[in-house]
Amino acid sequence: MKMNRDLNALTALVYRQLKRWAVSRSRIISIIIQPLLWIVFLGLGFGAVFSAQNIDPSSIIGDSSIPNYIDPSVVRNMLFKYFTTTFGGVDYITFLVTGMAAMTAFIGSFISGISVIWDKQFGFLRETLVAPASRKIIILGRIIGDSIINTVQSLIIILLALLITNQINPWGIPIALLYIFIMSLGFTGVGVAISLKFSSMEGFQMVINLLTMPLMFLSGVFYPINTMPNWMKAIATINPLTYCVYGTRYWLAGVETGLSFMNPITSLAILTIFMTVFTAIAMISFDKATIEE
Amino acid sequence: MNEIVVVENLIKKFRDVVAVDGISFTIRRGEIFALLGPNGAGKTTTIHVIATLLKPTFGRVLVGGYEVTRDPDKVRRKIGIVFQDPSLDNQLTAYDNMYIHGKLYGLKGRELHDKIMELLEFVDLKQYAHKQVKYFSGGMRRRLEVARSLLHEPELLILDEPTIGLDPQSRAKIWDYIRVLKKEHDMTILLTTHYMDEAEELANRIAIMDHGKIIAMGTVEELKAMLGKDVIYLTLDGNAGEFCGKLGFAKNCNVIGENRVELLVDNAPKYLPEIFSIALTNDIGIREVSYRRPTLNEVFLHLTGRELRDSLEETPLPSRRFPHRLRRV
Repeated sequence: MKMNRDLNALTALVYRQLKRWAVSRSRIISIIIQPLLWIVFLGLGFGAVFSAQNIDPSSIIGDSSIPNYIDPSVVRNMLFKYFTTTFGGVDYITFLVTGMAAMTAFIGSFISGISVIWDKQFGFLRETLVAPASRKIIILGRIIGDSIINTVQSLIIILLALLITNQINPWGIPIALLYIFIMSLGFTGVGVAISLKFSSMEGFQMVINLLTMPLMFLSGVFYPINTMPNWMKAIATINPLTYCVYGTRYWLAGVETGLSFMNPITSLAILTIFMTVFTAIAMISFDKATIEE
Repeated sequence: MNEIVVVENLIKKFRDVVAVDGISFTIRRGEIFALLGPNGAGKTTTIHVIATLLKPTFGRVLVGGYEVTRDPDKVRRKIGIVFQDPSLDNQLTAYDNMYIHGKLYGLKGRELHDKIMELLEFVDLKQYAHKQVKYFSGGMRRRLEVARSLLHEPELLILDEPTIGLDPQSRAKIWDYIRVLKKEHDMTILLTTHYMDEAEELANRIAIMDHGKIIAMGTVEELKAMLGKDVIYLTLDGNAGEFCGKLGFAKNCNVIGENRVELLVDNAPKYLPEIFSIALTNDIGIREVSYRRPTLNEVFLHLTGRELRDSLEETPLPSRRFPHRLRRV
């Protein structure tokens, strides 16, 4: 009976989040446009830099430091080997696009924190607070609903990526989405927990911006972690997004650019722990925040 | 059990501000009970305690026999509430707002759908069921909120300033709904308002609140009688001044104009027969009698004084994390 009621409340909130998402076209577009811009500008820009075909070895051979007798094709081959091993066996655009699938959901995760603040200001939150449903379940429904949305948005990015590169394995998509979904649950939990401390959009946005940038750059989305300086590696190791990027990339393109201890199973385990901890924190802090003091 | 709400010595403090200062009252099943008071009197805080949104600092509050702090879920099931501030999801349609509410209260399927349509029809919004709420006027939103609060068939309907900021038409509509609910469904209604006419028009009993205390409680008639100044006008056949001298019980007796007397008494209905018998024994004819009771407005101002109520935060609720927003007009 109680479980039935909780399930009803959970689906009510999932339904609400999905419905809101479906009617706000601007939100869908802006969330997808952003990663697309990264893909186009970084992917095409750096893609050309990190591509052996684009390098003319004759322009660097023959000056004072590099002897004449080196075969240009050997140089090109070496560079090609270097780039492919650096990016785990694929070209840069595939490397970037597979990481970007995870990042799309990551950025979307914090948006749900904004919607919590929005609901505070427009009163809908109170409507959920007087309902006889468990507050923990209500916030869980919200987190699940938003994570479904984030995962769908990642799927859209992956499908677009299929048009750009042929190095993605379509069979890996469902498993990659599982990693993305779990990561999104965790970061949505983080966003909700933080949002409960803020009553203004501005304050929350500032904190989120401070968090998003470092987490993004230290997750291996744009460049591999194993070539990072040690202090960056250390931060990347404790960044949950790293494990999602790793897992997504592994299942989509077979790329294994990580630290030595990383593998798909441990990544999934770490993400699951992260997700459990932060959804629990969000649920508990929502339960408390609603009862004043 | 005839009492659906029992409030005993309720005190609610926000940090050092005492919003509600030891009030007690009961609401009986089937009655409309109004909390009337100026802004910042503590009406909304009281309602939020009853609705389980705030915990009482001291005192006991029972709704339908359940204590609000001990069984909040059982209490929540029994009440439907329309907040002073809008609490709809503007992005969604009227139907979806109702649907989500229904699911939160454990309704589903065909039953839920039928109930939604029935209630949307009740508040005359059926043709707008699938329009987004953001296109609704203030009056339509309020009507939708009333419909939503009735969806789970509450035993107690709480309306916090239900007609504030509405045009006269919407106001009349809301009043109609309240009357129908009371008459046809025997609904118990707790409403707060600072409109005298609203309280006078709708409420069976009124509690006047000010500075967190209930300063008077009773039916409209009882409240007016408190002021103790009914004014009786008599037009006489005979000497007015002489007649005045015989009415010892009157607080004041003035001869106004020819043959006309103005009497100030505590309770006009009680003294009218006496006036007639005195007139009869003194052989003075009474040509015309009228009396005026003080309006609720006069009672209210008498009890609460006339100074302006500037308070910073009308409802510091629910805690500083939920800032009070000004109503969007």
